[in-house]
Amino acid sequence: MEKESKRIIRVLMALSAMLVSLVVYLSYFEIFQAAKIEVHSYNKRQWLNEEYVLRGFIVDRNGKVLAYSEKTQDTQTRFYKYGRLYGHIIGYSYKEYGKAGLEASYNKALIGADELNPIRVITEKITGPKEKGNNLILTIDHEMQQYAEQRLKGNKGAIVVMNPRNGEIYAMVSKPDFNPAAIKENWEDIIEDKDSPLLNRAAMGLYTPGSVFKVITATAAIQDENIETSFNCEGSININGYVLKEYNGAAHGEVDLTKALADSCNVAFSQIGLLLGEVKLKSAAEKYMFNEIIPFDLVTKSSIFPKTTLMTKPELGATAIGQGKLLTTPLNMAMVASTIANDGLMMKPIIVKEVITPEGKTLRANNPQILNRSCSAEDAEIIKDMMIQVVKNGTGKNAALSKVEVAGKTGTAENETGKEHAWFIGFAPADNPKVAVAVILENAGTTGGKGAAPIARDMMSATLKKFK
Amino acid sequence: MFKKIFSYKIPQNLMVIMNTMALLLLYLYKDHLDSLVLISGLLLIFIIYMSNFILLKVSTGDHYIFLIISMLVSIGIIMIYRINPIYGFKQIVWFGLGIANFFLFYLIVRKAKYWNKWLKMYVVLSFILFLSTLIFGIKVKGATNWIKIGGHSFQPAEIIKVLFIFFLASYYANKKKLIKPTIFLGIVYGHIGFLFLQRDLGTAMLFYFIFITISYIYEEKRKLIFYNLGGALVMAGLSYLLVNHVRVRVLTWINPWQYVDNKGYQITQSLFAIASGGFFGTGIGLGHPEYIPEVHNDFIFSAICEEMGIFGGIAVIMLFLILVYRGFKIALQQQNKFFRIIAIGITTMLGFQAFIILGGVTKLIPLTGVTLPFVSYGGSSLVSSFAALGILQVASEELDLEQEEEHGERIQKDH
Repeated sequence: MEKESKRIIRVLMALSAMLVSLVVYLSYFEIFQAAKIEVHSYNKRQWLNEEYVLRGFIVDRNGKVLAYSEKTQDTQTRFYKYGRLYGHIIGYSYKEYGKAGLEASYNKALIGADELNPIRVITEKITGPKEKGNNLILTIDHEMQQYAEQRLKGNKGAIVVMNPRNGEIYAMVSKPDFNPAAIKENWEDIIEDKDSPLLNRAAMGLYTPGSVFKVITATAAIQDENIETSFNCEGSININGYVLKEYNGAAHGEVDLTKALADSCNVAFSQIGLLLGEVKLKSAAEKYMFNEIIPFDLVTKSSIFPKTTLMTKPELGATAIGQGKLLTTPLNMAMVASTIANDGLMMKPIIVKEVITPEGKTLRANNPQILNRSCSAEDAEIIKDMMIQVVKNGTGKNAALSKVEVAGKTGTAENETGKEHAWFIGFAPADNPKVAVAVILENAGTTGGKGAAPIARDMMSATLKKFK
Repeated sequence: MFKKIFSYKIPQNLMVIMNTMALLLLYLYKDHLDSLVLISGLLLIFIIYMSNFILLKVSTGDHYIFLIISMLVSIGIIMIYRINPIYGFKQIVWFGLGIANFFLFYLIVRKAKYWNKWLKMYVVLSFILFLSTLIFGIKVKGATNWIKIGGHSFQPAEIIKVLFIFFLASYYANKKKLIKPTIFLGIVYGHIGFLFLQRDLGTAMLFYFIFITISYIYEEKRKLIFYNLGGALVMAGLSYLLVNHVRVRVLTWINPWQYVDNKGYQITQSLFAIASGGFFGTGIGLGHPEYIPEVHNDFIFSAICEEMGIFGGIAVIMLFLILVYRGFKIALQQQNKFFRIIAIGITTMLGFQAFIILGGVTKLIPLTGVTLPFVSYGGSSLVSSFAALGILQVASEELDLEQEEEHGERIQKDH
């Protein structure tokens, strides 16, 4: 072929490549970016229905109205009946400040724009939008939520109360909080507050887990045949020159795994960690959703198990007892407790039970869903027995109830501030779990057994009374 | 005969079906049924059908490019009509004028013989048009590239585009060059410089690309091409540093979200529209393309994507792709060197102009305001594009022109 034709064909190919790149880019845009861009607050299309459609209401599991809208002539007003109690769950919806919480994640449902049936979508477009949006039924129990808030008052931290069998969340409180009803007046203060009241600590607060992580280390230990059954604790251990001490320097003497967990023995667990190695420990943690995104209706942060390649021996020892660079969220830890209660099956956390139409028909139900098998039912049984011992004879005595057996684990997490976080995770009744909790008091400066366990006990007792 | 008229195998019949369905939708979705839709629709269908019919009788050349263009124009008119019925109706009138222009240019260019000798005339005409834009021009959207005559305004650059291609073709087609290479280069950069003065960046880019393409194929001093490319890079760098509106375009391309309520407003609104359409679109009349400023003009493609879906958008791109393919095929088959270059020039112009604006509104490349040929609203763009198409039609035929060089061996060996 002569030169000129060759060059003409090359130019043709270049131009075709340009046009084809447009096709590729458009497809990429539609598949990976469109969903994110569509909900940008400057996209007026979203607000279109909103002007016209009466935003749906939100009720708790018993039908108690928590948020609703009222129409006054041309505009409508949103009412948050319980103010700050639901700031982190329901969130807010304002044109000027955007949306947060369920108001954001369920926006389409609330303005009646999330029809699943495409034919109805089309007919609706032609006949005009509906006048009322869909409503949400939460899994939250208003009384439990109120009680949790009351128990946490005055502290920083979070409480998560959930049903271990199906993942339904009964109460979720995070402090400090904000009042969604008064956002307009307080916006400047809220965003400048260095305690970040807008942050939902329950699902997004990343804390050092401390000894509550030992439940996960114990899971890995049971699964490994090479782990010795007993350890000698002299109150401290020297790992490559790094000395790891017991809390208050107490020596536990000869301990087996159960006693080690009950007494929260750091020496024993750091040894277990060293014997297991970082890879096994990490794999156990990841089965409990560390380093994974927890699918939830509210924004969550992923718990972090650090990269194993960079781990030194002392770090491995520290990680095994829940220190080091480990970070977790209260929601994740509540799910860990639930998993042990639920024979090793981790359930997807649910906070919105149903989306219903204004006529009361169920549009969508969030049914229980298994997220992961974290350990076998037998292993879960063994750990449960150990956790019972924690409450019966160990560090978690303050969580014990008079009539039912409680299983739990305390945690006192050291962190860079110098004031420890007080943790407690647990569930009850041990033989037929109906409720699981996670409590954290941020920088409480006290132990999990003293600070968090009594709150957890009260939450469990109240929940059991309600859900017999 | 009767059977043939109603056969679905005849492409213009398919076009009639498509247009009828789209117009039916338009007719239905409007609150009050107005007769304008009906008249416009019938007019549109009639024009497309008749012009395809006539072309088939008159021209022995390519019959596909006109069909492709009819399809593009139909999509454009439907969208424009949906956005603003008055504009839509006007566009149909422009379409009629465009087609008249198509046949006019087709006949004139076919008749005259010495197109390759009139190089100086093209240059003089271009510069007269440029100067008059600078003197009488009115500022629209930050660019001074419109002239108002009587009640109508038009963009001289649309005419200069075609003149520029003729100029390039007559330079390269003659073995004994009519002007010196330095003067030639001076004139080329003169064109681009004028466009810069008018702040018409998109068109400047387009001129440059046409020039580079043709010189890539025909320039004998290969080094010159690299010098030109290097020069362009330096110019681009300098204009980014020195010219504010160039910088703005680049910044809003890198991160438009940062300027969502001011400089980046147009592009972000365009992205919202495309994102809201999904793969299948909202359906004609059911989206909100009116949120995008200038939607009937530069941003028509975003409206198409919103209401006809990404698939509709891809269809438009594909139409341009076939157009480019046909255009180059015409060039490869043409025996006359001058018209070969003309065919390449016009095809490159249409294809690259489409790429500039399609890439711009989808944020693949920085946004520069040029129209989407045959689709965007606008008289001068449509009419001059049809003139160019008429010339391409001539180039697609076997021409009985005197040859300066022997082309016997160029007969399609490789096809």
